Amino acid sequence: MSEAYFPVGPGLGLEENFLSLDDILMSQEKLPGRAESTLPPLTFALGQGVSTGDSIPEGSKLEIPLWLAKGLYESKRRIISVELPKIYKEAWRTVFSADASVVDLHKMGPYYYRFGSQLLNFDNPENPEIAQTILQTFISRFRRIMDSSQNAYNEDASALVARLDELERALFRAGQKELNDFQCWEKGQASQITASSLVQNYGKRKFTDMDG
Amino acid sequence: MAAVSSEGTEADSDGGSEELVLTPAQLIRSLEQAWLNEKFAPELLESKPEIVECVVEQLDHMEANLKRAKRGDLKVSVHRMEIERIRYVLSSYLRCRLVKIEKFFPHVLEKEKSRAEGEPSILSPEEFAFAKEYMANTETYLKNVALKHMPPNLQKVSLLKSVPKPNLDSFVFLRVLERQENILVEPETDEQREYTIDLEEGSQHLIRYKTIAPLVASGAVQLI
Amino acid sequence: MEPAEAEFLAEKELVTIVPNFSLDRIHLIGGDLGPFNPGLPVEVPVWLAINLKQRQKCRLIPPEWMDVEKLEEIRDQERKEDTFTPMPSPYYMELTKLLLNYASDNIPKADEIRTLVKDTWDTRIAKLRLSADSFVRQQEAHAKLDNLTLMEINTTGTFLTQALNHMYKLRTNLQPGESAHSQDF
Repeated sequence: MSEAYFPVGPGLGLEENFLSLDDILMSQEKLPGRAESTLPPLTFALGQGVSTGDSIPEGSKLEIPLWLAKGLYESKRRIISVELPKIYKEAWRTVFSADASVVDLHKMGPYYYRFGSQLLNFDNPENPEIAQTILQTFISRFRRIMDSSQNAYNEDASALVARLDELERALFRAGQKELNDFQCWEKGQASQITASSLVQNYGKRKFTDMDG
Repeated sequence: MAAVSSEGTEADSDGGSEELVLTPAQLIRSLEQAWLNEKFAPELLESKPEIVECVVEQLDHMEANLKRAKRGDLKVSVHRMEIERIRYVLSSYLRCRLVKIEKFFPHVLEKEKSRAEGEPSILSPEEFAFAKEYMANTETYLKNVALKHMPPNLQKVSLLKSVPKPNLDSFVFLRVLERQENILVEPETDEQREYTIDLEEGSQHLIRYKTIAPLVASGAVQLI
Repeated sequence: MEPAEAEFLAEKELVTIVPNFSLDRIHLIGGDLGPFNPGLPVEVPVWLAINLKQRQKCRLIPPEWMDVEKLEEIRDQERKEDTFTPMPSPYYMELTKLLLNYASDNIPKADEIRTLVKDTWDTRIAKLRLSADSFVRQQEAHAKLDNLTLMEINTTGTFLTQALNHMYKLRTNLQPGESAHSQDF
């Protein structure tokens, strides 16, 4: 059956998808940086650590959300400099090249691939190595995601899923859906009409509203 | 004007006319082919108004005949089943196109705008009207809900830039209907080199859509 | 594509039935069927065969390959070879399910057939995963997938193509300056 609504998916690479909620969430993630000149008060964007009303002196260390870092970096004057979050630095890149499958990308991420691709917007000399590591990480974790999403005959895969980044989780869900669809068909459940997930969710919401 | 006609049951063998004459059975097959291609292609394919028109004609014609037949006849029920099957393919095909139009509307309209005269349109007249209205509604909605509350210099959003384009680099599965030679496969990594492949009739492949998009359009391969 | 849609396509395949009624030729849009005479075998599409069977208007003759001995051979061959062996029908899985569900009384050793087909299927799906993994690892641009059936492709198709599309994008990250930095402010 066709869905009634298709959300705009996230981009993967240097550009984000403007209308994608996933990309908006991803661009809220912070990265370390430094003020290269005195900045006006940015409390709303930088959060705690910066007292209200004060301007930010040159040289201050900052935790800047990606969207703001991109905006400030792209302007002609160099207002800020950005550093790599540690998971993209050389030490971690070595860990990834040794065995990427053991890393808990959700804890470290949770947007490891998309955020990492976005970092390439900042002209870091290590960009080629970062891009290479991200690609190789995906390749080496692929098999496990495939096996668990397509093999888990209704087994609990939550332990594995917990360690996947958001992109991997979406992939995992796509694989599980295909498996479930096939199993339903095999058992003959495909010919039964079920309520759309939209209707089901609506019912649930009403119920909890009444409860509360 | 119609390039396809379902009238007549034999293929027109002399090449005098440009008209391609299909038997009803061939017509249904080309509808199914268009349906599967549309389902699996990442972009909106050229519309097939002649096929749709002829299939609708066939269905109407059959319905009219069945009205005259007596109820409860076994023959009638067999015809009805066939009609339902064809109708399913037809509506699934049209729905699939509507989904893509909703997904890519600014790009679909842009392509239509830049279309050279005489080049076939990717939209049927009805789909074109739908796409234009969808675009207008989306713009109005965005304006009323958000943009008009923004500072004046931030009240414009280019839908052409903000709605993602179809990803022509997507991988697709295909079956070869007509043998093709020397299809250039671009390398995926720096260490690889480009190479050419021959597509044997009946063989199946996994490849990037962009490489074989013209073959989908010409009917030489079938997406699966 | 959903499994039900693959099944829909499989229903166009022809099977032989033995009707218990008589009826003249039917001129369907998709071609002619019949005539039907009691006791005389005739070929019809699966969708019609199942309908007639449900109305107890015919007996179904299983396709030649739907036979324990033949399927054992197919299963063993599939296990022996590294590549995908040709299947007796491009819709072997769908037809097995449809015919066994609606006409098992006309098919000898239905349960054994079900198991054999399922074993063959499992072997093929395991191979498909293996080749998907090597395709990804080698970062290949093209794969030949002869003898894979529509239903098989569709159980991993979305997953695999999605992963390949991600990989392709991550790979374009390695070539800065080409499509990159096109945004001017």
